[in-house]
This record gives sequence, C-alpha cells and structure tokens, in this order.
Amino acid sequence: MPPALRRGAAISAALHIVIIAALLIAIPVAKPPEAPPETAVSMVFAGTAANSTQAPAPAPTPAPAKAPPLPPAPPTVTPPQPQPIEAPPPPPPPPPAPPQSQAPPTSAPPTPTPPPPPTPSLAPPTPPPPQAPPTPPKPTPPQPVAQPLPLPPPPAPTPPLQSATSQPNPTKNAAANSQALDNTLEKLRQLVQQKQAPTHRYNPQAGGAQASGGNPLANDTSALSLAQRGAIADHVRPCWTDTPGTLDLDKMSVLLTVTTDADGVVREARIADQDQGRVAADPRLLAFSDRAINAVMDPTCATLPLPQSMLGKVNVLTFRFSP
Amino acid sequence: MIHLPRPAIGRRPLMLGAAGTAMALAARVPVRAQPAPPPAGAPGAPPATTPGAPGAPSAVIDVNRARAAPIPIAIPDFVGSDGDSAQLGREIAGVITNDLGNCGLFKPLPPASFVNVPPGAGQIPNFQNWGAIGAQALVTGAAEVQGGGNIRVEFRLWDVLPQAQIQGTAYTTTQSNWRRIAHIIADVIYQRLLGESGYFDTRVCYVAATGPLGRQTKRLAIMDQDGANNRYLTDGRWLVLTPRFNPVKDEIAFMSFAYERPRVYLFNLQTGHQSILGDFPGMTLSPRFSPDGSRVVMSLTEGSGAAIVAMDLASRATQRLTNADSINVSPCYSPDGSRIAFNSDRDGDQQLYVMNADGSGVNRISFGRGRYATPVWSPRGDLIAYTSFGGDTGAAFNIGVMQPDGKGERILAQGWDVEGPTWAPGGMVMMFQSSTRSLNARGQGYSSHLITVDNTGFNQRTIVTPTNATDPAWSPLGM
Repeated sequence: MPPALRRGAAISAALHIVIIAALLIAIPVAKPPEAPPETAVSMVFAGTAANSTQAPAPAPTPAPAKAPPLPPAPPTVTPPQPQPIEAPPPPPPPPPAPPQSQAPPTSAPPTPTPPPPPTPSLAPPTPPPPQAPPTPPKPTPPQPVAQPLPLPPPPAPTPPLQSATSQPNPTKNAAANSQALDNTLEKLRQLVQQKQAPTHRYNPQAGGAQASGGNPLANDTSALSLAQRGAIADHVRPCWTDTPGTLDLDKMSVLLTVTTDADGVVREARIADQDQGRVAADPRLLAFSDRAINAVMDPTCATLPLPQSMLGKVNVLTFRFSP
Repeated sequence: MIHLPRPAIGRRPLMLGAAGTAMALAARVPVRAQPAPPPAGAPGAPPATTPGAPGAPSAVIDVNRARAAPIPIAIPDFVGSDGDSAQLGREIAGVITNDLGNCGLFKPLPPASFVNVPPGAGQIPNFQNWGAIGAQALVTGAAEVQGGGNIRVEFRLWDVLPQAQIQGTAYTTTQSNWRRIAHIIADVIYQRLLGESGYFDTRVCYVAATGPLGRQTKRLAIMDQDGANNRYLTDGRWLVLTPRFNPVKDEIAFMSFAYERPRVYLFNLQTGHQSILGDFPGMTLSPRFSPDGSRVVMSLTEGSGAAIVAMDLASRATQRLTNADSINVSPCYSPDGSRIAFNSDRDGDQQLYVMNADGSGVNRISFGRGRYATPVWSPRGDLIAYTSFGGDTGAAFNIGVMQPDGKGERILAQGWDVEGPTWAPGGMVMMFQSSTRSLNARGQGYSSHLITVDNTGFNQRTIVTPTNATDPAWSPLGM
C-alpha cells in the first residue's frame, strides 16, 4: 500500500472513531417512555346490544380481561361462482348408418324409446335388416331432422366488477343524446312544470312578479339561438324575392308573425301588429309584405328547420324581411 | 426598546424563494384546452338574447338578400256565358297576359300548365291546384256582352298561397273599349302586386317617318303603349318634332316647321285643333308642360344662344328663366313643379343642370365625360333620365339615369343612336328611340324604332310600329 493511501486510511479511521465517540458521549439519547402496564378492564354486558352501540347503563363491574387475539384465520376459500350452464351443443350428426355386418351396438342397454314421430328424413332409407334371430330392440339412433333447432339461449352476461373506489351512478335520462344541452333543458322544464292544480287563489294584493316590459316580439323566436335563427333564414331566403326598381326598396322592411304547426310547417303568416299601420299606408310596402308572406309560405320553403325541442307543438315566430 | 428575534432566514431570500416557487408552479400548471364553441346549429350554441335586455337585438328571424324575380301569375281565360262573351273573355285575358308579361316583372304561366278549368265568376278557385303549378297570384274573371253594344267585365285577383282574394272589380263600357278595359285590369294587378303605379292604360305619341332617309316624311302618330290602335295626327306636310303630352288634358305640344318657321304648337287630340304657342321672333323648341298643365317651358333662340322661357297657358304671359348667353335647351319640370332640369353648354360642353322653377339656384349635376342632353325627370322624382354621347363608354350614345343631385349615374341602354327618353307613369319604365346606321348614302339598312326599358336596365322590349319611329312621348295614366 502506498504511504499516501495508508496515511489517508489512518486519517479516515481516526475521524470515524472521533465521530463515534462524540455520538456516544456528547449526544444524549432519550430513552423511550416506558409503556404503562396493562390493566385489565372488565365489562359486563347488560343485554343484547345488537342494535345499540352504547350501553344503556354503566357497567357495575369492569369487564373481564380482553382475550388474547386469535391467530389470523386462514384464508377462506371462496366457493366458486355458479357458472352459467351452457346449453349442450346439438348432437353431432350421426355417422352414416353402419352396415349390418358390423357388430350391433351393445354398449347401451335397451331402453324403451318411443318411436320418433314420422318426420321427413334426409337420410337415405335404411336398408331392411337381414333376417336374424330375434334380438332385443336396438336403440334407434337419432335421425337428422330438417326442422331447425332453436338457438341456444345466450350466456348470461357477466356482472360488472364492483369498483372499490366509486359507486355506480346510472343515468336518470336514458334517452338518446341525453348529454345534449337541449335535452337537459327539456328535463329541467319538465321538473318545473306544474303538475297539480294550484291550491291557492291568485292574490294580487300580495304583489308578485311584475309584468316585464320586455320585447313585444318575444314569442317562440326567443327560444331559438342565433345560429338556429340564421339557419331558418337561410332556409327561407331562396324563396324571398322582390321587385327591382321599386322606390326606396332598400329602406323597406316588414315584420311578419308566422305560425307553424307541430311539424314546423308554416300554416299562417301575417303582418305583425306593430307593422300593420305602416303597411296599410304604403302600397309599395304592402306589395313588399305580400311577397314576404309568399316567401315564407312557399311550399319549397315552408317547412322550417326548427330544433327538435320546438317540434310537436304550435310555434309563433317573428320574421323580419328586408331586401 | 423591544428587540425582535432575528429570523433565522432572511426576509429577502424568503420572498425570492416564494416568488420562485410561484413561478415554478405557474410554469408547471398544464394548459388546459378550452372547449371550442359549439358549431352553428348545435344544441350547445348560445341561446337567444334575452328579450328586453338593454341593448339586446330583437329576437327575430332576419331574412334578407332578396333576389329579383318576376311574380308567377296565372291568367286563365275569362269565362263567358255565350260564344261572344267567351271570345271576349279570351281576348281580354290575352291582353292582360301580354301587358304583365312584357313588363318583365311578372311571369304569366302557360295555359297548358293549368290543372283545372278556370273558375266562373264568384267561385272560389281550387288554390291547391294553382299553387301546385307554382302560381303565386291568380286572375279570374268573366266577360259578358250585353245589349246595346255594352260589355261587362269583372275580375278577381287571388293570392294563391294565403288563399285570399285581394282585389275584385267589375267594369261596364262599350264593346269598342274592350282593350282599354283589359289594360285597366292589368294596371290594377300591377299596382296591387308591385305597389307601383301601372302604365298599361296609356298611349304613346311619336314621330312616324316614312320614305328615303334624306327626304323622310314625318308625321305625328299616336298609339296604345303596346303598339295597338296606331293612328296619325298630321299629314306629313311639315316636319314635326318633340311631341309632349299635357298631363291633365288631351293635348299635345310639339315643334313644327310649318311654313318654314320652327315653332311650338298645341294640338287638341279631341278636336284636332292646332294653335301656335306664342309669337316669338326666334325659333321655339323643346316644349314641356308643367305637372299641373298650366304652363309650358321651352327654349327660345336668340342669336347664337337659346334661353329658357315659361309661358302661362291661360294668360300667355312669358317668364324668362335663363339668359341666352349659351344654348339652354330641353327643360323639364320636376314632378312637384318646383325645379327644372335642362342642359346647357355654359361651361363648355353640354351638361345637365337643375334650377328652381323661377330660374334661380342653378346647379350643374353631370360631370362625366362626354356630353349630356335631354334630361327628363321621373314621375316619382327620384331619377333623371338623359342621353349622353361622346363619353368613354365605348358606345356612340347612351341612355342613363342619375339622381337629381347628380349621384348614382347608371347607363341603362347603349347603341349607335339611342336618345329621347320618356318616362311611363309610375317611373318604373321608360321609352326611347333607337336607330341603326345606314349602309349607304341612300339610307339602306337604316331603321328607327321605339324601345322600352325598365329603370334597372334589365328588361328591354321593342315596340312594333308600322313605320320608323322617333321622338316618343308617354302619356299620363288613363289618357
């Protein structure tokens, strides 16, 4: 060993010794607190407490000492779950009828099997047996029948594994596309729907919600989103025509109140109330309104692309036609 | 003094450490994808703006960007109780069909497409059958030839899709007036379905030209607006030009070279009486009535220029509206009579000007290249039609329109020689003359005819006349 390495080893050993000595001498080691001696507490059960977790009265005497813990029970063997019994497969087609020269089957004892009903058989006719001494009746092999057999029942579905961390949360709305917002809104509407006759009289003295000034145009159109309104306008636009050269055509516009049936087909279109006076005073605007009514009632455009939630009922919509 | 224990760790390192930790946490926060907005029409699209919310748009379905299309209309033959009445009903329905079809704003459906027979007078049609062939409007009627040479014609206008009658009228007149009854019915349909005044019950006065190109005979002629009932008013002995209808009387003002003196004359259409309008030392030309028919404005030549003067027809008093320093011609009143449009070369080239009816407030309104002439104010007052030539449009002559302030200039027709626009009542259609160039000195190949065009320029139609025709003037409605 080279001297330098030897010196280093000596220094290292000395330092280790110093550190160990310091640990043993300077640093006090706290002794762990001694465990209190065990005292037996005796308990007396006053009665059956199967349904109660609290003793009805304090026990007069302490309970006897706790029994030592039992050794862990051996792992229980879970009995096998009953497996679905599969239906036996249909018997394979029998082999062709053996020739009579072969030995007769003797494995099965003769059983009184009733003769099968006369059914059309696809098998070739069995040749008549040769004259032989009377023998016990042989078991009749099953004959292939052209009638199809019923399909075996499907195997029972395996129950889903129970998750240890989450509970199953089946959806309350099993309808198709139940995640859609419209579906949720419809469900909320049904929840708030009044399903019973009111039990109290209307009391105007009590105040209540004030009549909102609101938009006079607020009808079923407000239930449509901006995109849905745009889609309806796009649908009607091919039928919307005007007369070029009409005076002040670019300044004209008219509001129509349009009623659709349950299928979304326009059944009535009329000039909205707030525009009737204006239209009556202007023959150009009257002609303009007529063309708007014709546009929305045109058979090619009268079936409006209403959202699913608005079908099945009569809707009143407000249209504004402009050049 | 209270000494607080010095913290084992300095405040600055602590703050720096906290800041660093915060930055590290911020840097490690995963960027979560924002949910994309639902596509148009998707159930998750934003709902309509709450009505009544401040600043919220109205919850309406906006249908705009209309396309120009004629109105499909079915005009079956009017029914008649006997053979003559049925024949009259067929002819009336034919005239109505031609009127509405030629204007370009209606599309009469072919009778072969009619599913059922026309309903009789007073019967409600089967709207489903008419709607099935695409008709939006339906005209039904009945004609009856009565005793004494009278006829009774009734018609009903139906709106097919709303299944409602929107017009119903009966007329009784002499049998010779049956075409006029048909035109009146067409006017009623036109006005009800378009909102504009009709123009079918009108006449057109024009100059009929016959003979070789250099030595043509020109006569005043008048006809229905569709070319029917043509007749001549003068014998062609003297050259006549620029006829103009009186808006309130059966009277025409025109320029005649009778006795080699070009002057403005008045012609009474009922009596055939002619009279000179004023006695001026110079030549008078280009007359035009005021909207109330009480005055005539015209040009009066003085030296090398022409002044515009107005004459009261009752008192024959004249009022000079411009001086004669330049050539001021073709005056035309606005529909309300408050202004006059004319053309003048006071700025060098012929351009269009507008002034007040008393001659004040002259404003130039045309600034395009080339020359502008013959301004005619629309009966609606919204446009001024004109003839332009020598511009940069590539054509020799143009018929155009512009607003009274000179904006919105549009060319409606072009040709080798198109000029002299005149408006139909209602201002939806105008008529002008169009000439073709002669192939040689003898005038071979030359022709001149009248053409109608709507104020959008998309529907041109030639009016058939028995001779070459120039200088059209459209009558007011019902004259």
